[in-house]
Amino acid sequence: MTLHPRESRYGRRELLQRGAAGAFALSSMSTLLAACGGSNGGSSAELQIATPDNPVTWPIYDDNPMIASGLEPEGGTLRIYNWNAYLWPNIKKNFAKEYGVKVEETYFSTTDEAVAKISSGAVDFDVFFPTTDRIGRLILGKALQPLNAEYLPNIANLWPSIQDPWYDRGSQYSVPYTTWTTGIGYRTDKLSTSPDKLANPYEIYWDPAAKGKMFLLDDSRDAPAHMLLKNGIMNVNTEDPADIELAKNELKSLIDAASVKLSTDDYTNLPEGKAWVHQMWSGSAISAKWYLPEGTTADALGYWFPEDGRGIIGSDMIAIPKAAKNPVLAHHFLNYLLDEKHGYDNFAEFTGYQPPLTVLDPDKLVSDGVVPANLRTSIVRESDFDTAFPLTELTPEGATAWQNAWAEFKAGV
Amino acid sequence: MSEPTAPVGESDEGGRFWAGLALPGIAWLAVFFVLPFYVILCVAFGTVDPLFQTPTPEWNPLQWNTSAFEFVFEGLFTSGAGFQTVFVRTFVYVLVATTISLVIAYPVAYYVARYGGRWKGLLLAGLIAPFFISYLMRMLAWINLLQDDGWVNEVLMWIGVLDAPRNWLDGRASSVILGLVYGYVPFMILPLYAFLDRIDRSLLEAARDLGASPFQTFRMVTLPLSGPAILAGIVIIALPMFGDYYTPDLLSGAPQTSLIGNQVNLYIRGGQQVPVGAALVVVLMLFLTVLMGYYLYATARAQRRLGA
Repeated sequence: MTLHPRESRYGRRELLQRGAAGAFALSSMSTLLAACGGSNGGSSAELQIATPDNPVTWPIYDDNPMIASGLEPEGGTLRIYNWNAYLWPNIKKNFAKEYGVKVEETYFSTTDEAVAKISSGAVDFDVFFPTTDRIGRLILGKALQPLNAEYLPNIANLWPSIQDPWYDRGSQYSVPYTTWTTGIGYRTDKLSTSPDKLANPYEIYWDPAAKGKMFLLDDSRDAPAHMLLKNGIMNVNTEDPADIELAKNELKSLIDAASVKLSTDDYTNLPEGKAWVHQMWSGSAISAKWYLPEGTTADALGYWFPEDGRGIIGSDMIAIPKAAKNPVLAHHFLNYLLDEKHGYDNFAEFTGYQPPLTVLDPDKLVSDGVVPANLRTSIVRESDFDTAFPLTELTPEGATAWQNAWAEFKAGV
Repeated sequence: MSEPTAPVGESDEGGRFWAGLALPGIAWLAVFFVLPFYVILCVAFGTVDPLFQTPTPEWNPLQWNTSAFEFVFEGLFTSGAGFQTVFVRTFVYVLVATTISLVIAYPVAYYVARYGGRWKGLLLAGLIAPFFISYLMRMLAWINLLQDDGWVNEVLMWIGVLDAPRNWLDGRASSVILGLVYGYVPFMILPLYAFLDRIDRSLLEAARDLGASPFQTFRMVTLPLSGPAILAGIVIIALPMFGDYYTPDLLSGAPQTSLIGNQVNLYIRGGQQVPVGAALVVVLMLFLTVLMGYYLYATARAQRRLGA
């Protein structure tokens, strides 16, 4: 299944925070162990695959109502279930102070691990960060609760189009959190060429000058998607066996041609010089400036995203699990994050992943110094969502075919 | 190396008491080994939840679903398939890394055991020191040492072996094998040391008295005596190496150096084919059980021979 930009396995921030070793074993085992809890899954009869062409309005169930309006927020401890390094600690601190509560954050490392725990009903987090390809299943399994919009006036601060997203029409169960694109990061000081100078920008992955310094995202969807786009296949959610075969062979050819490596630490690999070309999430391009070694400036970095906007795009959301102990407080927290100032600070000071706030126009972000001028292409605009392609959920058969192709490539056959 | 004492009869009161002492250990093994292994089996033979796509273990062996194993075996026995390629690669890497480890570990253990003298304690502490730092941290340290402007390149350029920095992290097998050797060699030194230290000096003196040269003494007395220890060291480091996936991930990250553990990780970390990952684990365990079985057989045989 799709990896998330925050599924950064051996990121140093993450490593230091978690205290290393056991983390691996635990994160892998937890998926298995969570399975022991069984699941309270309902029927999948109504399951639809949401895409921009097939936006889905999810049902509201009688036995899973939203909270009533006008309730006072609970006291106690707000429990957040999130990716690591995806929320500025000061946000938690300030929210706790303002509401006189405690805020506690627990991290997960893969969507599947999180879904396994949330769906088991054995955990009672108040705030959860799902992904577009899983939210439908979580809703149908009644693992999330519908949101009461009266607590969320700040949603008006967002781009109008994203207030009514294709994966959850009417934002019934989620509010948008961040947006990003998947492009190509490169070192302008190490390479004489760049993607925009090539007739086919994706050919940069085969550039012999970057052999051994070539990275793709370690992601079974993002990496093949660029192979499809290189070949003019704009349906990046294709399940056509011929397309899958083509993408797989393109990937395999990179092993000899470029000694390609796979990583999700794009935000450190490129600034530190491990990579000269790195398939990259735009949020990582913005964070990269914090990891530049002494003597290297942000001018050395480049980020390419198709000028016509026909690239890979994604967005994230926040939701409230049904099992939440503090649902009213959780609504307040969601609204707090949608506040213009809080959203901006969270992005500019810490995550690098851009919230879809109307107030954040590219000129302002560059003039504020949040995004270096040469990385302007890493800023997501509302109009990008009209042209770019999100990686949507696949049918189980399609997902299996893609995963097996990816596994074969990763086996280095 | 004396003949083990004859087993005490079942009816013996004392025997039951001593057998009772094994109960906590047996309970421990049942709770922390047998049960988790059964869970893995049930996941491997299970299905996935149609809605959440999370693994659903099948607890009843009569209803086990074998499709994950069929998929794994097909990949293992099809030439050029992903699973077979990775399995063979893993075997080769472990073989090479274990051999290098033995070449490093034996002289070190031999030196400390025979010539450590009053430094023995300090040398042992030095050997144990790496255990105080997590495996992961040590591998991250190697990344820094091996990178373009790292010390490895600087030293090699200083002594004139290299003209320009070499990219050791570009996905080459040698870096991964180096990581494996570095990471596991202390685990081999310790059992070897423990055994070599216990060798009866009078045996060596007897060999010398009978006219053997120092080398002959080593070849005909010390080495055969340390056979079981060598085997133990090999087993101790080879078993975890077979399951290693973070060493290739950290020191290479390239598909051409990925190991069986990386494929397990890929299938277990995400997606709806967790049973395939679990089946790979089971197959790997079966393979390792065969190795382990040979080890047990060989040590039992050695015991008998020495006892005779």
